[in-house]
Amino acid sequence: MADNENQSAAPFDRALLRRRRDRAVAQWPSHNFLVREAAERLVERLDDIKRQFPMALDLGCHGGEIGAMLKGRGGIETLIETDLSPSMAALTRRGQADGAHGLARQALAADEEALPFANERFDLVLSCLSLHWVNDLPGTLAQIRHCLKPDGVFLATFLGGETLNELREAWIEAETVEEGGASPRVSPFVDIRDAGALLQRAGFALPVVDSDTLTVSYESIFNLMAELRGMGETNVLRNRRRTPTRRATAMRAAEIYGQRFKTPDGRLPATFQILTMTAWAPDPGQQQPLTPGSAKQDLATALHTKAEKITDD
Amino acid sequence: MTEHGASVDPKLLEILVCPLTKGPLRYDPQAGELISDQAKLAYPIRDGIPIMLVDEARALDGDQPAKS
Repeated sequence: MADNENQSAAPFDRALLRRRRDRAVAQWPSHNFLVREAAERLVERLDDIKRQFPMALDLGCHGGEIGAMLKGRGGIETLIETDLSPSMAALTRRGQADGAHGLARQALAADEEALPFANERFDLVLSCLSLHWVNDLPGTLAQIRHCLKPDGVFLATFLGGETLNELREAWIEAETVEEGGASPRVSPFVDIRDAGALLQRAGFALPVVDSDTLTVSYESIFNLMAELRGMGETNVLRNRRRTPTRRATAMRAAEIYGQRFKTPDGRLPATFQILTMTAWAPDPGQQQPLTPGSAKQDLATALHTKAEKITDD
Repeated sequence: MTEHGASVDPKLLEILVCPLTKGPLRYDPQAGELISDQAKLAYPIRDGIPIMLVDEARALDGDQPAKS
C-alpha cells in the first residue's frame, strides 16, 4: 500500500533517467534528430516575440542544441544551459564556442525538480523536450515562474499525449495476447488540454499551448526502440516491469506494429506529438481581462444586427 | 566562463542558489566547490561545470545532508 502511494506520487525514476542520459552521450550525435527538430521549431518562435532577452536559461539542454541554433535570436547575451546528466552538461560545454554571435554560454548540471536559481533572474526560460519525465510538473513550473523576472517568458516544447501511440498500442496488445496482461511500456505524456491549466495553476499569465505532429519512419520496431535508447528516452516508469521481455512478446509487438501501421514504402511510422507552451511571468503592465459586464457597446451593435428577445414556442 | 573550477564568474554566483534550501551559496576557491551553509552541502565544480545536484554534493562537518 505504502509502496503504491509512493509510486503514484513519483511515477518516474529520475536516478535511472540520469543514468540513461549519461549513457546516451556516447552516441548522441546519431540520435539527436528529434531534439534538433524540436529545438529548431522552438527557437523560431523567438522571432515572433518582439522582445530582447539578455539573460536566458535552457532547462534540460541535452547536447546544447538550442545554444548552437540561437545565432543571435532574441537578443540573448548569456545562456545558462542545464541538464540532469552531468555528462550531457559536459557534452554541451565541449560544443560551446564562447563569444559566437555575442553569446556567453555556461553549462551546469541541475535537476528540473530542484532548480538552483534565485528568484527573478531570467528574462527567458527555454526548454526542449525535457519536462516529460518530471514527477511534479506543477512544482517545476512554479519554480520556473519564480526564477523568471516579471513579464519574463517561458517557452517550452513537450511531448504530448499522442506520442508513440503506435508503439503503446502494439505493446499493450502483444503483452495481452502473449502474457495475459499489459505493463506500462510507454510513458503517459501531458495532454494538450491539461497543459494550459497546468501553466495557469503555476501562476503563469497568458498561457498558450499548440500542437504539432512529427512523424518519423523506421525500418522496424527494433530500430525505433534502439533510437529511443540512443536518446536516453526509454522507460523510466517506477512501476515498469523488471523482468526481461519474452522474445515471443517482442516478436508479436513487431508483428502488430507492422500489420497496423506499415506505410506503402514498407516503413513504420512513429508519431511524436510536440506541444509548444508559451506563458509569461505575471506583471501589472500586461493585458488584463475586463470585468464582466463592463463592455461599453452591446454585442448586437458590434455584429451589426438587432437584439431580439427569445420566445419559447 | 570558468576553467577547471579555478574561478567562478561572479555573474553566475548572482543567479545560483542551493537547490535544496534555495539559500545562498559561497564559492570556495581552494576546494573548487559551491558551499550551501544552510544545507551543509558542498556542490562540486568539475571541469568548469557546477554540479548542482543534491545527490552529488558533499556533506559538510560529517553530518548527513539535510535531505528532504
